[in-house]
Amino acid sequence: MLKYSLKRLAQSLVTLFIIITVVFLLMRLMPEEGYFGQAYEKLDEAQREAILTGMGLRDPMHIQLKNFYKSLLVGDLGKSIIYRPKVPIAEILKTKIPYSLYFGLTAVVISLIAGISLGIIMARSKSQIWDKLGTGYIVFINAVPAAVYYLFLQLYVTDIFKLPILFKPDNTASWILPAISMSLGSTAAYAMWMRRYMVDELNKDYVKLARAKGLRNKTIMVKHIFRNAFVPMAQYLPSTLLYTISGSIYIESLYSIPGMGGLLVDVIQRQDNTVVQALVLIYSSIGIIGLFLGDVLMAMFDPRINLQKKGGAR
Amino acid sequence: MTDSKIILSVKDLVVKFRLRGRVLTAIREASLDLYEGESLAIVGESGSGKSVFTKTFMGLLDGNGWVDFGEILYGGENLAKYKTEDDWIKIRGKNIAMVFQDPMTSLNPLKTIGKQVQETVELHQCLKKEEAKKAVIEILNDVGIPEPERRYNQYPHEFSGGMRQRVVIAIAVACKPKILICDEPTTALDVTIQAQILGLLKRLKKKYKLTTIYITHDLGVVANVADRIAVMYAGDIVEIGNCEEVFYNAQHPYTWALLSSLPQLGVKGKPLHSIKGTPPNLFHKIKGDAFAPRNPRALKIDFVEKPPYFTVSPTHKAKTWLLDPRAPKVEPPESIEILRKQWGLSKDA
Ligand SMILES: Nc1ncnc2c1ncn2[C@@H]1O[C@H](COP(=O)(O)OP(=O)(O)OP(=O)(O)O)[C@@H](O)[C@H]1O
Ligand SMILES: [Mg+2]
Repeated sequence: MLKYSLKRLAQSLVTLFIIITVVFLLMRLMPEEGYFGQAYEKLDEAQREAILTGMGLRDPMHIQLKNFYKSLLVGDLGKSIIYRPKVPIAEILKTKIPYSLYFGLTAVVISLIAGISLGIIMARSKSQIWDKLGTGYIVFINAVPAAVYYLFLQLYVTDIFKLPILFKPDNTASWILPAISMSLGSTAAYAMWMRRYMVDELNKDYVKLARAKGLRNKTIMVKHIFRNAFVPMAQYLPSTLLYTISGSIYIESLYSIPGMGGLLVDVIQRQDNTVVQALVLIYSSIGIIGLFLGDVLMAMFDPRINLQKKGGAR
Repeated sequence: MTDSKIILSVKDLVVKFRLRGRVLTAIREASLDLYEGESLAIVGESGSGKSVFTKTFMGLLDGNGWVDFGEILYGGENLAKYKTEDDWIKIRGKNIAMVFQDPMTSLNPLKTIGKQVQETVELHQCLKKEEAKKAVIEILNDVGIPEPERRYNQYPHEFSGGMRQRVVIAIAVACKPKILICDEPTTALDVTIQAQILGLLKRLKKKYKLTTIYITHDLGVVANVADRIAVMYAGDIVEIGNCEEVFYNAQHPYTWALLSSLPQLGVKGKPLHSIKGTPPNLFHKIKGDAFAPRNPRALKIDFVEKPPYFTVSPTHKAKTWLLDPRAPKVEPPESIEILRKQWGLSKDA
């Protein structure tokens, strides 16, 4: 277990390192206007070169890369250029992260509760009305582009329930719709997985044996089926959890929530290279951490994972 | 075995399934008396209804199936009338237990085997945690699992197939059931392990005074484990009798066909016998003797009317018109003749 986790951790770190490198190299391909802001038009070629050299961007690539690693190691993400000139990016993020986190966590809680319950209900009433309704919901969420139902919610539901269209931090009612919108996708995903894994388990032989030995259906559901169905879920949970937090890019700009997702859209449009770079790094790290935690969580629940080291059956 | 008392009595059982809007009849008026302490084997080809028949004793039919007619008398109650889980809980595990075919999938891969046996023990014997654990270790020891204390905390994947089947058997006998149904308990295991498991089942049967039902394809192992043999075809028991009677003095053409296809009975230089044709379509109503269309020796009446049981001896009966006094003399296949002679019975005697 510990050995497995350490191995997966090492793998994750290597992946992270590769991603940092790739992101850095890709960012070098961005138009260089991004390093000047408003001043770009007023400067002549020689002045621009001087500024770029001053920022270290004319150094040989391996030197640049080395400097980049170094500053990352001490937690220095660099300074914003256009978005808020000369302000450290970490400073900017400090004001943004809490919003994303609150919304993300609210959405995660909603979708975990709603999704898993829906999945269980669907599995138990297989091919009956609840199952069909739930399947309809899942198909809808997967087939219709998120932007469409997000917009629909924002335009019509706000109207029906007299909710504010845009987010205002001091207006609690304005929190509701973004959080719900954000949870719709992962609710569908959790419900789909939960249903599938539970139905898979339901048809397994050990369930027949459990019935034959005299356990009640309810006991079997809770102690065998739910528990077993949850294990493959555990692998995805951290990823989707983190994904929900970062998946708010669209919703944050839709409701103008001053969070990280809105920021990403903003800085891409305004070509603030250093901030884009920092955000891309953060999102990809989140992805890697999610996968890592998922695997560790799964290993905690499933004794068979450790099989890889030792020969199993004796 | 006729001197011991009947523990389970099945009368004219009809089991049906609904499949894609159509109804199929898997068990067609099958009857069976099971005697206390005996060991009965049920043989028959795949799809003949062996599993379905025995599953009804425990209320374990799949959701699309139901008992349409008939009685299953056990302990003064008619199990065929049982509907709710509360009814069946009283039977399952405590009174009738089952060992399934595939030990690789019969255990929950995410629970320690100790816990899985313990679940049963706690359920039926109302023991407290520590006592229950002790009981479990004792049972594990009983079914021949070495180092049961250590094994208690291991997961199914740490066990070989044979060892897992021992665990499944431990679960089945944990509550000291009266009847143990073994549905092809060794089919998934290799030959040496098969013999060990059969040996274990025989030992446990004696120790716990179990009445056992073995379901098997393998007529070869039957004589080894069973006192009586019931031959099942298309959802009905067409012949039943003591082991010797069914082996050496078989009466039903289907039993002949089964026996003739045993490799041990092949006549040198001749290809092994195989039963021609396919079992009847269970969606249709079957007229007469279900085996008639595949039986080269079928009589006219076999296609018209279902034969009743004809008594061969007090312990031996078969459902075939050949046993009717009015039936013409029909020669059984060569290998059956040889068997009968071996038993010291000539067909004229
Ligand atoms: N859930 C079900 N739905 C529909 N038909 C079923 C169902 N279960 C069993 N049957 C049918 O009932 C018949 C008897 O099946 P059963 O499993 O009892 O055969 P079996 O003698 O145990 O065969 P095997 O030796 O292959 O295990 C088969 O024709 C099968 O198709
Ligand atoms: Mg079967």
